[in-house]
Amino acid sequence: MKRDEIIVNLVIIAFFIFMLINSLKLHEIRRFGEVGSGFWPILILSTATLLSIILLVSTLIKYLNEKKKASVEASISKEALVDLKSRRRKFALSVILLLIYVIIMPWIGFVLSTLIYVLAFILALEERRKYVLIISPVLVTALIVIIFAKFIVIPFPRGVGIFAAFSRLIY
Amino acid sequence: MLEHYVTAFSTILLPQNLLAMLMGGLWGIIAGALPGISTSMAVVLSIPFTFGMSPITGFTMLVSVYCGGITGGSITAVLFGIPGEPSAVCTVIEGYSLAKQGHAAHALWVFILASAIGGIFSVFVMMAATPVIANFAMRFGPPEYFALTMLGLSVVSGLSGGSVLKGLISCLFGIFLATIGTDGITGVERFTFGTTILLGGISFVTAMVGLLAVSEVLIEAEQPFQEYKGSARYRGLKEELPTLSEYKENWQTLTKSSVIGTIVGALPGAGATIASFLAYGEAARSSKHPERFGNGAIDGLMATESANNASTGGSMTTLLALGIPGSNTTAMLIAAFMIHGLQPGPLLLTQRPDIVYGIFVAMLLTNIFLVALSVIGVRMFLQLNRLPYSVFSAAIMILCAIGAFGLNNSVDDLYVMFGFGLIGYYMRKFGFPIAPAVLGLVLGNLAELSLRRSLLLSLGNPLILVTRPLSAIMLFFAAVSLIYPLIKQPKALKDVEM
Repeated sequence: MKRDEIIVNLVIIAFFIFMLINSLKLHEIRRFGEVGSGFWPILILSTATLLSIILLVSTLIKYLNEKKKASVEASISKEALVDLKSRRRKFALSVILLLIYVIIMPWIGFVLSTLIYVLAFILALEERRKYVLIISPVLVTALIVIIFAKFIVIPFPRGVGIFAAFSRLIY
Repeated sequence: MLEHYVTAFSTILLPQNLLAMLMGGLWGIIAGALPGISTSMAVVLSIPFTFGMSPITGFTMLVSVYCGGITGGSITAVLFGIPGEPSAVCTVIEGYSLAKQGHAAHALWVFILASAIGGIFSVFVMMAATPVIANFAMRFGPPEYFALTMLGLSVVSGLSGGSVLKGLISCLFGIFLATIGTDGITGVERFTFGTTILLGGISFVTAMVGLLAVSEVLIEAEQPFQEYKGSARYRGLKEELPTLSEYKENWQTLTKSSVIGTIVGALPGAGATIASFLAYGEAARSSKHPERFGNGAIDGLMATESANNASTGGSMTTLLALGIPGSNTTAMLIAAFMIHGLQPGPLLLTQRPDIVYGIFVAMLLTNIFLVALSVIGVRMFLQLNRLPYSVFSAAIMILCAIGAFGLNNSVDDLYVMFGFGLIGYYMRKFGFPIAPAVLGLVLGNLAELSLRRSLLLSLGNPLILVTRPLSAIMLFFAAVSLIYPLIKQPKALKDVEM
């Protein structure tokens, strides 16, 4: 965990430094007697960089201390490893499904993409009860369409071609 | 002023507003009672519903969700020992102990009534204080506004649980996000990297939906499969009304806690969680029976519940009078104001008294409504924990997508929401509190503009910030609120994210 933290700290520092370099370019853009567009971002980003370096150093010190204390790293039990793998798989699936949902929505329309997304997501969450799998996607989609597309009239994407024709049947 | 109240009452009593209050209160209690949904998330998720409403109906609904969420968080705390909200942690300690001793119904009654007392007290304070503070704030110049935003941001970074360093980094990240887009003064594009999506800046709602709600669903999605979220079963509500003497005995605790709750709520950056901890601590210190604390002390339960509900009125006072959000949830409400083309702050009271007084009345009636709703609905709310949780998660994701999309009817916003969902997930995983980032994003613009205006006023001399007494005082407190937690952090707060 500590190793992951160090990596995350490095990513944060890299991010702030990258943005800081970008903000330096903004520094010249100003009128006489004013602080320019770059002033505030430079102030914020340099403080942020400084603080993240302090965080990295303190994490490193803790990491080294812990390593000294426990020279033999406790091996992870088999069950914990399986659990970790299952967690990572579920997280990855949830992220990928959400991304796919966002990508396909303009093409196949809101109704169909939502229907598919709900089914896929609850499957990814290891829902295996048949009645839940069959009823809930239809029920959730129907409720959402009635409230948001019919009642509040949000112009959701209808999709293209045949999908648009299908969406028009519904809203 | 009286005519504003008459107008406000007659507006709020319109059927559509009462319906909005009912739906908002119900949804708030339900969301608060479910451990996966926080009050701020409940408010985020109800924003799409307000798109089609008039501003006053929309706000009636949103404040009902806000108050309902705080109340609902304690239902599961009392019955199952699961705090639905971080602010209900002390409620678990006392309320759940009572429930285990077989007095669940009694604990429920006590908390419902104490909540209402705290909530209503704070609404009256809000009604009295908002015009006074707004009037006072009319005299604020850019340096005072800068100092005020700094105060809010430092309080939330210092007290939001975990390490102060991480809180500060999270806050600075939020402020940085607020600089993205076209600069309001020079018109220069900042950090857009040539894309058009970022030209108008990052929309609060989209970012908050991602940071608060999507990330929470992703965290929950990792957990092992559960058929239902609630583990214990409810054992039946006996007639165990608290007696009047119990209230007579504890009226001092109730008053004190309501005052603490309102004041802490009004501090920019400190919300219901800190209010309930402080009031609980004070009640334990001054109790006649301190030995009962931890084993179902009625006065402890009353203190924490009246304080966390009282914080709602306090937070709303700061929001309405100064335009500064006190917590995650009120930050969400700022976004809602902007969606409806309104800018909260001292001018709102003179420009749109209908909205401000409408919110006063809506909050007052909501607190009364909530008593009725909680009493009638307790049984039903508990059944909700038996809904399939997977479907709940999916529905929340869809509501997030609608919230992000419906703002500008743009699919691009969905990608922004997705990105922030991932960022929020990793922030939570690595212990960076979300609240400072959200407040940084909301207050960043105001902070920058007021700093640059101050420097224009002083011809570039930064001393203007400390030579004006009010701004100097606020900056001093901002510094204290950052340094104090480093020296002494309340033990209980360490484990709790605000």
